[in-house]
Amino acid sequence: MELDQFLAALTPLNLALALFGVLAGTIVGSIPGLTATMALAVLVPVTFAMEPASALILLGAIYTGAIYGGAYAAILLNTPGTPSAIATTFDGYPMAKRGDGDLAVALACFASVFGGMVGALALLFLAPPLSKVALAFGPIEYFWLSVFGLSLIAALSNGNLMKALAGGAFGMLLSTVGVAEVSADIRLTFGSQTLIGGFGVVVALIGLYCIPVLIDLVAVPGRHLKVEENVKAVRIGDAFGLAIRSKFNLVRSSVIGTLVGILPGAGGSVAGLVAYSEAKRTAKSHQKFGEGEPDGIMATESANSATVGGGFIPTLVLGIPGTPPDAIVLGALLVQGVRTGPAMFTQSGSIVYTFIYGLIIATILMLPAGLLIGRYAYKSIVTIPKAVLVPAVGFMTIIGTFSIRNSVSDVIIMLCLGVFGWVVARFGFAASPIVLGLILGPIAEQGFVQGWIIGDATNNLFGMFFGRPISQGILAFTLITLILPIYLARKKNKAHVELES
Amino acid sequence: MNRSAANSQGQMGSLIISAMFVLAGVVTLYDTLSYTDRDSKVFPQTVAIILIICASVSFIMRFIKPTDEGGFGQGIWWRRVLLISTMVLTCIAMPYVGFLPAGVIAFAGGLIAAMHDRWSLSNILLYWGSGGFIMVLFYTLFKFVLHVPLP
Repeated sequence: MELDQFLAALTPLNLALALFGVLAGTIVGSIPGLTATMALAVLVPVTFAMEPASALILLGAIYTGAIYGGAYAAILLNTPGTPSAIATTFDGYPMAKRGDGDLAVALACFASVFGGMVGALALLFLAPPLSKVALAFGPIEYFWLSVFGLSLIAALSNGNLMKALAGGAFGMLLSTVGVAEVSADIRLTFGSQTLIGGFGVVVALIGLYCIPVLIDLVAVPGRHLKVEENVKAVRIGDAFGLAIRSKFNLVRSSVIGTLVGILPGAGGSVAGLVAYSEAKRTAKSHQKFGEGEPDGIMATESANSATVGGGFIPTLVLGIPGTPPDAIVLGALLVQGVRTGPAMFTQSGSIVYTFIYGLIIATILMLPAGLLIGRYAYKSIVTIPKAVLVPAVGFMTIIGTFSIRNSVSDVIIMLCLGVFGWVVARFGFAASPIVLGLILGPIAEQGFVQGWIIGDATNNLFGMFFGRPISQGILAFTLITLILPIYLARKKNKAHVELES
Repeated sequence: MNRSAANSQGQMGSLIISAMFVLAGVVTLYDTLSYTDRDSKVFPQTVAIILIICASVSFIMRFIKPTDEGGFGQGIWWRRVLLISTMVLTCIAMPYVGFLPAGVIAFAGGLIAAMHDRWSLSNILLYWGSGGFIMVLFYTLFKFVLHVPLP
């Protein structure tokens, strides 16, 4: 039976839809402000007239492509095309600035394909048992997971922990602006109607990452990125060699991405950050994360792409969408008359398995499509004159930000955050901890408050926060992440002093 | 700008930003007094206290261990100001003149700000031509394909 479904996924129509979906998704994902959710929402009505499996293949391919596409802008413009690519900027842009942008783009493609395959294979073989992970995560586990993500602030501090922590706390404070997560209080708006909706993550991403780059670009003459004399193509051979050498990092990050993808509400940004944190924690002494380390890109890109397959596990098995794109796919399924649930794999097996095989094929197609688009994106960005690049990117930031909530106020907020981000970065307060706080703040608050309410009601606050096995595991990893670098640095210093004496 | 001037600017900037963060924490604590639900208060209060502590430590550290070499560095200020001010002007003009004409203001500002080479007729035609093409392309994509209600 499964061979039939595999062959059904290989029909010319399904292959064409998968290729179109990957190409469209990659282009959409590469434009700051346009997200996978928007692309899927626009195309959902088109799929209503299709066969259910073909419709799902198209939607899955767009989602996969969009998550990968976010890496282009992250690497070449220091602006994550989608929130999933936040951690890609940490090493991607430094690599591009030193002239290795072509290598970074190829690495992102290899890692995305690998991660996407791991997620899709997990969906194919392990969906029912893995869906239980989603149910095992309560509010406290989400709280500790966000704390684990926040521990990355220490890694991003560049030797100035207090400034990084202050930035992270400020980001979390920004995340509380607007209507409260749990109750309905209006917070920190100071009477402004504009601020009731809060600071959108994508708005903040565009402002804090893209505007400072533009401000720096116009101020001095010279090229945007360092390039070799003859820009030929993306460095596939070098990238493949690096990917083979970092196979353990790829596998670990993809597994992290799949597991985080299963958790409703976490998504690609959290997966990328957690995988990046783990890659940095286990790095060899010569690896310099945050300064253009290829392993950083591979960890992030494999993890965020793995969330696609991972996110479909609770969506299909439990009917719980993990992310907004999953929710749109779930809606499309319901319109097609497909009922989700544990029995879906048997009752609607032909549709589900054709879709999963289609997703695998789309992920494989992402390799040639991604490398081809990557080649042109890289060549365009490095060869385009600055006098065209800056206004074009500026125009894109305005139109992309406006389209999120059809709001001019969002564009003004984006510009204010951009100027603020540029100013504070000049004095050692980096943008990344602020963004981390902004993204993880709502997850942390919701988990903390809900956990507090349950613990208070059951008169077991300590047990609620520290007594659950998964919480203990995440807490242990968090402590190791925070303490190990300090211990290793002291050990290294001690050895250095002994050697000198 | 020489090294000591840059250091001095970096020190002052760090102090001002740290003080601003402390102030933001204090304002948040004050704002939480008006919340009716305890669940709304606990997180912002905790975060505000963390922010005040970290920013205060950072503020004090600038005096004890002045190591920063920050500062605005080199670069031409009028170009930076032109870029941002035309983008702001675009936002102000957008509801009155429509998205595309307002977008031209930001594009023109960005082009002039980023243009470090000598202007020539071919430059003007090429840059404005490609700029116009990019703007119309994205406007069409967002307005007619993605159905974003651009003004």
